[in-house]
Amino acid sequence: MIYNTVKTTLRQGVMLAGFRASPAFIAAFGVLLITVVALFTAPYIGMADNGDFFRNIYSNGLYFSQPDYDSQYFGYFVKHFGIYQYYNENGATLDSSQSLFIKLAIGLNKLLFNSTVFDIRFQAAVYTILYVAAIYLLVEAITCRMTRKQGMIVAVLAVFIFGDTGYTAYFNSFYSESLVLIMMLFIFAAWLLLYRKQYNDYFLLVLFVISGLILTTSKQQNAPVGIILSVLGISLLWVRRDRIFRSLTVVSLLLLLAAGIGTYLNISKEFVNINQYHAMTRGVLQDSANPETSLESFGINGQYAILKSNIYYEQYGTVDVNSPLLEKDFYSKYGFVSILKYYVSNPSQLSSMLNVAAQSAFSIKPAAMGNYEEAAGKEFRAQSHFFTLYSLLKGILAPKTFGFILLWMVLVIGLYMPSFVKALKARDPRGMQRMVLIVASMAIGLSGILVSVIGAGDADISKHEFLFTLAFDLVSLLAVSGVVGRRVSGSREPAADRAGKIPNVQEGVSA
Amino acid sequence: MSRHKDAGLTLLVALLLIIAVFVQPAVPAHAAAEAQSAVQQPKVLLLYDSLAAGTPREGNVREVQRQLAAYHVQVTVAALDRYEQGMMTVFPSVITVINAPDLMLSQNKPYMEDLEQYNGQYLHIGYQPPARLEQALQLSTGLAEEESATLTAGAFRSEDLKLLQVPYITSSKAEREYGSLFLKSSGRVVPYAVSSGNFTYIPYLEEGNVSRLAAAAVLKDWLRAAPAAGPFLVIKEIYPFSDLALLEELAGRLYEAGIPFTASVRPVFSNTDFPAMQRYLKALKVVQAKNGSILVNAPALMPSINSSDHTLGGKMSGFINLLAENGVAPLGMGAEAFWTYDKEYAAAGMGYFDSVVLFPDENVIHMEETNVSASFASSLYSITPEFLQSLKHEGKAMPQLPMDAAVTVNLPEDEAGLSLLLQTLDDLWITFADYKQAGHTVATDTNTVSSADGVVKVNGSTLNIDYVPEIVSSDYQYKEEQFKSFKTLFSVQSKFFIVVITVALLLFGGLLTVGYRLYRKKYLK
Repeated sequence: MIYNTVKTTLRQGVMLAGFRASPAFIAAFGVLLITVVALFTAPYIGMADNGDFFRNIYSNGLYFSQPDYDSQYFGYFVKHFGIYQYYNENGATLDSSQSLFIKLAIGLNKLLFNSTVFDIRFQAAVYTILYVAAIYLLVEAITCRMTRKQGMIVAVLAVFIFGDTGYTAYFNSFYSESLVLIMMLFIFAAWLLLYRKQYNDYFLLVLFVISGLILTTSKQQNAPVGIILSVLGISLLWVRRDRIFRSLTVVSLLLLLAAGIGTYLNISKEFVNINQYHAMTRGVLQDSANPETSLESFGINGQYAILKSNIYYEQYGTVDVNSPLLEKDFYSKYGFVSILKYYVSNPSQLSSMLNVAAQSAFSIKPAAMGNYEEAAGKEFRAQSHFFTLYSLLKGILAPKTFGFILLWMVLVIGLYMPSFVKALKARDPRGMQRMVLIVASMAIGLSGILVSVIGAGDADISKHEFLFTLAFDLVSLLAVSGVVGRRVSGSREPAADRAGKIPNVQEGVSA
Repeated sequence: MSRHKDAGLTLLVALLLIIAVFVQPAVPAHAAAEAQSAVQQPKVLLLYDSLAAGTPREGNVREVQRQLAAYHVQVTVAALDRYEQGMMTVFPSVITVINAPDLMLSQNKPYMEDLEQYNGQYLHIGYQPPARLEQALQLSTGLAEEESATLTAGAFRSEDLKLLQVPYITSSKAEREYGSLFLKSSGRVVPYAVSSGNFTYIPYLEEGNVSRLAAAAVLKDWLRAAPAAGPFLVIKEIYPFSDLALLEELAGRLYEAGIPFTASVRPVFSNTDFPAMQRYLKALKVVQAKNGSILVNAPALMPSINSSDHTLGGKMSGFINLLAENGVAPLGMGAEAFWTYDKEYAAAGMGYFDSVVLFPDENVIHMEETNVSASFASSLYSITPEFLQSLKHEGKAMPQLPMDAAVTVNLPEDEAGLSLLLQTLDDLWITFADYKQAGHTVATDTNTVSSADGVVKVNGSTLNIDYVPEIVSSDYQYKEEQFKSFKTLFSVQSKFFIVVITVALLLFGGLLTVGYRLYRKKYLK
């Protein structure tokens, strides 16, 4: 049987005669179109500030220029900010890779628009371009061995999932989730393309490492990402036999490890009060059978049990959450590691917290923040429903228990296990990469959940679990595409390499 | 027909009245009472040119606001550059604070014109006394560029005052003179302030030194205020997670020393059924039993994320009710002074109280800022022991302070701090007054707490403050056991399935073994 396997490079995809676009091009173009309509045409879609923007923008030379900004917290998305013209007392810090992109957007804004007013859509434009490139590579990686028909189905699926404005609305905000989204897609695509042997390995390695570094350093919560990538990435050492590649891979992995450790150390140092407060009041104490005993295990006065379930932003509280009293008798007594130890020694509490976490693990866009500008005339915290069917269905249909997450992991790993065992037996390190990628993605997703629970309890959890929901979508898309590849064709094309070596047909799901 | 019409109209009016009574927002009792007594409250318009940020005079406008509050005055504050024609005419008393020596006050025509025709009581503080005042007081002033001085205010004095660019009175033929300022370089003694008829002049006021007491004495006379009550001892920074044993010990030691005191306790709005809260209440009852009075301290504030949080009233009344129902009688409220300049805080937070202690502002976070203050029947001016220790006075005993004052201290953190505090109080030689001797009322929808002549009443019944401490049990079910439907059925069901699955596994195991043997027999011979 002969299959019309599509040669899906951009150059070949866009044919001069009859415009024959590849699935990757179709997916990228589809996502671009939807994102442009959503973010750049009125009513503009974005994300309201939940109080986090301050630390992201003031150090980068921007300020809240609207006099009524305070009244728009949570409710409305704001697109204009002021650019500091003189001395910025907040200092120019570079503790997050997000600063690079904010600064790039400010530069473009100054060049093309205005030197005193920053329009956040310049940042959205930068992110959109990167995102579309990432989508192209991702779909290319998934569909490059498929028939045209199969490829198109996957392209449509990809647009349906990643064109969802639940994801792209972040671009019109200063949340670091935008970077997490783009970089995670690049990592996934680069690793999968390495497995496919589709592009130049060196280019893909560089893409993988840069994306990994940016993702790891984009926010403190992502510290484990660097460590996971550096550990599981060891398998990349055997993908090629030449020395240069191996040396470069070793350096890259060390860089990722250093970035992970550096970001982790930053967590310990700057485990900011808000997260530290929630880690105890909405985490350890939240589901404890005896909060007083739990507190005493940290060496904290049991009377602090009164703070159980309290939130940092409570407008009227018993104690100032930034008071020296709490600094001395509360915050100084625990940190990330001691909370981790607590959960390890109290697995039942961890389990119930994980179930709480699973409740929000499948939501992409938090409902707490509005998506429209105040000028759009929508109500406070109004949510946009433009191209959100996927996030809506996912939020409604996914079983929200941690057991389901475990089951999903077992199922997916089980599906890919035969091909992995085969590659292992054949001593084909490149053939093993898909399984390693899947495990890495799952580990990254789980780290997102664990770090959220340990780092901030159940507070703001749907936003904190973004990494998991994204990893879930990427792995699920890969698995479903594999099913599409088999079901539609009734058979599958082998993952042929460029050198003409065609690996044996592998068992299990493939794409 | 007409009779029917009249009856219908009467019914309609009655209905509307009933609706009006029930539909109006639930304002605390005091807010309503305040509206009624608004006519009798002294009202003062306080104008200022600048807040003098970064100069020694920074904070003097805030100081005047706090002092006026201690004299139960409702203050309207306005910056001079926002002064509108006719503003001062509705006020019987006006104060102007000028902090900038080089301000072109004459260019502010609306203000200057109104001042020319103003007939009420006028008090000027700082630079550039107006010509009309200078004439009335036959006043001439000088400027101390850099001077060391002794300021005497009543029985208090400060001997090493550093004056920098400070105006002073060189001569005046005013009817009344207040205090004295001894300029060390020239050896001159000049009056601190002067007053005649409707005009009073205070050339110098800084927040942190004896001039605040000197100015308070002038204000007291200017406002014709009643003799001062107190001083009272107020202990603040009391949290449910403070060292409650230390609080009880402090109460006991003060009781033994015969010092009546007031504890300003932090409110708790959630988890009030926890053992931790019961221990807190127990400690407060011990405080009360040791002749301590209780104030509800203002809650800690966070910047408002949105202005739609109107839960303060409910939270405060909930806490007052909780205290009252547990035998603890709050008699007033302790709050930073800016609370009186916020509509939401003043109405929803302070509205249950007619008595307050106003602490200096530390962390100003407004929800609905206003330039008109809320005033209270009892309003204590907070002062620290350190400030009193910095002053000199004749004799050992501390002289009477001009205003109703509270000597405010924080709850010590340890035994050493407690000993130091008791020593400090001993050294001050102050005869503290008992807060509950005066009349105070706290009223919520369900409880009314009052005090008079040392007797505290809750809902009309005298409160027995005797209390024998009990040990609070730590046995408490923090997590409600989840209700499980068909618990027995599922228990039986799970046992049944365990048996079925075990049997099935054994069966399959047996079959596999048999099958493997058959396979071996058939193919591997």
